[in-house]
Amino acid sequence: MDILASLAMGFSSALTPINLMYGFIGCLLGTAIGVLPGIGPALTVALLLPITAKVDPTGALIMFAGIYYGAQFGGSTTSILLNTPGESSSMVTALEGNLMARNGRAGPALATAAIGSFVAGTIATIMLTLFAPLVAKLALKFGPAEYFAILVLSFTTVSAVLGASMLRGFASLGIGLTVGLIGLDSTSGIARYTLGVPELVDGIEVVLVAVGLFAVGEALYSLLYQKEEATGRHRLTSLWMTRSDWKRSVPAWLRGTLIGFPFGSIPAGGAEIPTFLSYSTERKLSKYPKEFAASKGEGAIEGVAGPEAANNASATGSLVPLLTLGIPTSATAAILLAAFQNYNLQPGPMLFETSGDLVWTLVASLYIGNVILLVLNLPLVGLWVKLLQIPRPYLNAGILVFASIGVYGMRHSSFDLLLMLAIGWGGVLMRRFDFPVAPVIVGMLLGPMAEKQLRNALSISEGDWTVFLTQPISAAFLALTLLVLLVPHLLHARGIKLHEDD
Amino acid sequence: MTQPRGIVPTQLAIGLGVIAISAVLAFGAYRFPPEMGFVILGAHVYPFAVAAFLGAVGLLLSYQAITGGFRELADHTDGTAGVVPDGKAGAAWVTAGLLGVALLINFIGFVLAAALLFACSARGFGSRRPVRDLAIGMALTLPIYWLFNAGLGVSLPPLVNAWI
Repeated sequence: MDILASLAMGFSSALTPINLMYGFIGCLLGTAIGVLPGIGPALTVALLLPITAKVDPTGALIMFAGIYYGAQFGGSTTSILLNTPGESSSMVTALEGNLMARNGRAGPALATAAIGSFVAGTIATIMLTLFAPLVAKLALKFGPAEYFAILVLSFTTVSAVLGASMLRGFASLGIGLTVGLIGLDSTSGIARYTLGVPELVDGIEVVLVAVGLFAVGEALYSLLYQKEEATGRHRLTSLWMTRSDWKRSVPAWLRGTLIGFPFGSIPAGGAEIPTFLSYSTERKLSKYPKEFAASKGEGAIEGVAGPEAANNASATGSLVPLLTLGIPTSATAAILLAAFQNYNLQPGPMLFETSGDLVWTLVASLYIGNVILLVLNLPLVGLWVKLLQIPRPYLNAGILVFASIGVYGMRHSSFDLLLMLAIGWGGVLMRRFDFPVAPVIVGMLLGPMAEKQLRNALSISEGDWTVFLTQPISAAFLALTLLVLLVPHLLHARGIKLHEDD
Repeated sequence: MTQPRGIVPTQLAIGLGVIAISAVLAFGAYRFPPEMGFVILGAHVYPFAVAAFLGAVGLLLSYQAITGGFRELADHTDGTAGVVPDGKAGAAWVTAGLLGVALLINFIGFVLAAALLFACSARGFGSRRPVRDLAIGMALTLPIYWLFNAGLGVSLPPLVNAWI
């Protein structure tokens, strides 16, 4: 009952015209960048972080959440019509959905993706509503040792599970941790690794790194290595799903949600695993295995419905560790964390106590956002497709201009712009040799947190390192970390490969 | 996927680069000024750990590079194997545009510098109409300038520098 009362309060605040407007803008922007190739939710939220100086936290966070959500919705449109996944987590949709589109069934594919996203998003938000307060209550008992163990677990999962090679994931993480070291040490006050450059004393902003890697790096990489493909766009067809489409989609949506939410809510890094898992589940369970891409079929609707639902559910699920523990499990979540920190809000168990109204308004806005997105995406899908007509030069030039504004606007420093360019070239190198990018962002953000918790834990234990193993919760997290290191080997052995979610 | 045997120089360079970063971290941590008072865990311990971690990763990367190359390199064998014909020129244009905006923004102001960046990037991505691109760039950046200054309170350098 307590939860219901809080949620009702959240709704009354989320439904005020101003917050509705922020939610709507967020959903609109999110869908647009989801549709557009080359720009993702992490980059967009990073570029919009300056508004935290002006807009009140509730409005800004509602908008950012809308962008995060909307990008998942919009990404499926591009995948189905163009076979170029707008977001990498919609790769499966690109596979199966594009096949359907090629066979004249673009409409039902788009419909099942959008309605599935709505169903999954709503169910996942209900689960978030129920579980987040419980997790927060549990997390209140965590001390520094437990936090340190959770952070180690998050590091490991984000870098080990993503990408083809665990070693390269760890290399990215190491680089991220290194970047996180730069600047004033909060405990001792020593300036570390500033190389005498005054601009580095404050540390390097996460926005700067994100924009360098995602905007500049991506633009340069696509220029250097990506052939312009003459991918024919598929025509839209009627969105109506037949009775059999519905019958095949509904169970796939539900299964996708059940797979997606837990994977999103554990620090397992992004929406890749659940989408692939859901896809292979649907393939096994389907009564029409011949229609799947692997059997050179015409595209099976379950193969779109399940993964799209899983994708959305895991995006919602990833808000659980973010809100209750302050731990981001994807690059976008990491930037959202930075947004909270701009308001001097530290996500974590205390957030539910100290800023309860904000949290519940945010949760309520997720329910509303799902409805907005369904309306925005289904009837208006033709409008979004028009966005794809923006010529490639202008689209990319526009992204770069916005990137520069975002970075320069932070503290009016030309040095930051040069650093952004350098990081961009570093990003090209990383992309070229298949180093995942998300661990860099997560590492630079969580590294300083981990160091602080480590020091606190050791202060409490008076320098006794065994504290991490003797405290049951912390020991359990470390054991889980070991498990995470082993699981990818097992997955690889079974021929499952995972890719990065940006 | 077949792995070519032998040493892959570019990848070895990356491995060695990671080792170099680790060495810099360790050396830097060694030279931190001494801390005052009772310290449980000094400012240098965690950086040392990161350095050790990076060093190990760098060694393994280098090992892979001299024994046939990084493992499980995804899909660079197909369409993205080499630099596309106009790729280098395009990347050079974009780099020049970004360098330009970094060096010029404090002198010619935000609107002009960003419009220049827009034109350079568009050129890099294959547009061949510099004047039109500049105009579009201005049409894009002027409203942004106004929006940021008036709406968000993020002040960007003015159209032309104040003293001109």
